[in-house]
Amino acid sequence: MNASDSSPNWRRTSPVAVVFYLSRLLTQLGKGLAPAAVILLAGMSSMSGSSKALAVAGAITMLAVVVVSSVLSWLRFRYRIDGDRVLVRSGVLHREELSIEFSRIQNVSIHEPFYMRPFSLSLLSIDTAGSQGKEVVLSGIDKTLAIELRDTMLAQVVPAVDDESADQPLPSAASLLLTRGRKDIVVYGLMANFTLWVLVAIGAFFGAWETTEKMIIWVGQYIRLEDVLAVINPDAGFLGRLLVITALFIAAVLMLPLISIIGALFRHDGYRLSVEGETYRKSSGLLTKHDESLKRHKIQAVVLKQNFIARCLARTNVQLRVAQSGTGTGGGPIPSGTKASFLVPALHPHEVHTLSAEFLPGCEMEKVQLSRINRRRLAFVVVGVCLLPILPLTTVLSVLLGWKFTVLLPLALAIVWACLNRYWKQTGYGVVGEYGFIRHGFIGTQTTIFPLFKVQRVDIIQTPGQRKRGLAQLSIHLASHTLNMPYMPVEDADAFRDLALYYVESEQRCWY
Amino acid sequence: MAFVNLQVNLADLPAVRELKMEPMSPDYIREVKTQLLIIWPPLLMVAFIPSVLSGQVFLLAIPALLLLLALLISALVIKEARIKGIALRDHDIASRSGLFWRKTILLAFDRVQHVEVSSGPLQRKYGLASLKFFTAGGSGVDLKVDGLQRQRAEQIRAYILEKSVAKSAA
Repeated sequence: MNASDSSPNWRRTSPVAVVFYLSRLLTQLGKGLAPAAVILLAGMSSMSGSSKALAVAGAITMLAVVVVSSVLSWLRFRYRIDGDRVLVRSGVLHREELSIEFSRIQNVSIHEPFYMRPFSLSLLSIDTAGSQGKEVVLSGIDKTLAIELRDTMLAQVVPAVDDESADQPLPSAASLLLTRGRKDIVVYGLMANFTLWVLVAIGAFFGAWETTEKMIIWVGQYIRLEDVLAVINPDAGFLGRLLVITALFIAAVLMLPLISIIGALFRHDGYRLSVEGETYRKSSGLLTKHDESLKRHKIQAVVLKQNFIARCLARTNVQLRVAQSGTGTGGGPIPSGTKASFLVPALHPHEVHTLSAEFLPGCEMEKVQLSRINRRRLAFVVVGVCLLPILPLTTVLSVLLGWKFTVLLPLALAIVWACLNRYWKQTGYGVVGEYGFIRHGFIGTQTTIFPLFKVQRVDIIQTPGQRKRGLAQLSIHLASHTLNMPYMPVEDADAFRDLALYYVESEQRCWY
Repeated sequence: MAFVNLQVNLADLPAVRELKMEPMSPDYIREVKTQLLIIWPPLLMVAFIPSVLSGQVFLLAIPALLLLLALLISALVIKEARIKGIALRDHDIASRSGLFWRKTILLAFDRVQHVEVSSGPLQRKYGLASLKFFTAGGSGVDLKVDGLQRQRAEQIRAYILEKSVAKSAA
């Protein structure tokens, strides 16, 4: 390795990484300051000259601080490969030294943001699980080095069992499992959550993945349409606001699918999924190329997702879930579908079948017979909860406005009943061999298939009413996510638990 | 039927439901009672302030109602503490809790990432400790057992660590 550095083995990344730090910092800052900035901009016109100057000066200072700290971040970031671990030193004010053992690595992915491609540089992000769980990004390292590092890291993830495939020259051993054409990706874009995709597109553009994830959370928490409107149009009357709202709504309805499709194309264009030995590899991306890898034994659960649009188009999205990083105290909401999962988009029914068999060896999916939950109890609780607001509302309406409004009550109840009946039909649980199946759904469905021996913890919860009627709620905690099944017959919940524990305790294979 | 192609006979599996739960230490009930005594009397004193300040007799209803509430809550809290229990098996630990929402948590030793024993000032006074178990998956503390005698907590921790070491050696 190069010894020209001040300290022999510690290496620095390329200066282009500054752009990465800059984009990451700006998006982070943007999240915190966007509402303030909007208000400030709106108020600019009414400001006096001196406070305007002050605001501009403040903005410039801040920008300077951002640029300087990005450069410093790059200057202070060093990494070094030492045997079977990677060491990282980073941090401007708060210095940090991390050591990641290859065997603890969950996922390694290579991203090539557009600003790095001319220099044939890339980002290598290393995802670990465990209590010190943190994603480490080596930004701006040579692409060949990134690939080499990825291959060494993955080769060591599997202990001795897999010697043979680790020794083989990697590209030749790979066999292609799936490709997705533009049409498939467009279909996927149509099915995907619209707003989510806009943000993912932004994230893909900058190659700052975790930022996207945080932005999604942030948007959900802070953006309120009303606030935006109040700033845009403070003097408009009710009619004016209504017009703006309608215009925005129509624009959104027309634009979102389009943006969503464009986002999907940015992220998934040229999708290829291949397998070599135990390793799945997918590569995709229009401007920023993403190359992600996953070992088969790291899969904690396979989730088959089909929403309303997907159902109409007879397509299914498959997510391979891996252990979520961090047993963080507090642990905020981590949106599904980003870092903790590996996406296989827009599959036809037969592809779902062949690929699931590939991801879950020995799982006989076709034999599954899902049992349903107790409808009477579900209905009792749901209707009860819904009656609480509906009953007083219809009473008040019919007293104040006339008896005709009493019609609302049966109408509302009919809707509630139809919904819960639909939910009841789509929801079920089952076990085939050593795999558990949990399905939930309302209009679409989400089926989770998981090896029983990978279960982390099982809870059974019973209210007094459920105890009387022999029902229970089962919670299965996987390292990737938690599955709940309400109103199960208690014998089934017990059997599920005993069976899962049997596999957990008798299995010799490692769960991670 | 929900269960097909099983490689084991369901009836042969040890049933968690038949486990005998070991209740928490009697000192734990004492600790809970002390806690209640620390919290409620000052609140009751505060509740007297309106009537004392205004001299209105009917405002005494506030402390009276609060007293009723305090008695009710205390009774429930103590009952809840009595319901709590744990059971150790060869490979896993079970914990039961909850007055209305009765919850049983099952955790295999092999899935435990780390164990923490902690005790606060009041717990120390009664010689108690809490055991916290963490597993993978970012859900924070997975199992917290309050009200164990300090010695018992250490003993359980040692037992679990020994079990998981034995398994990884095998």
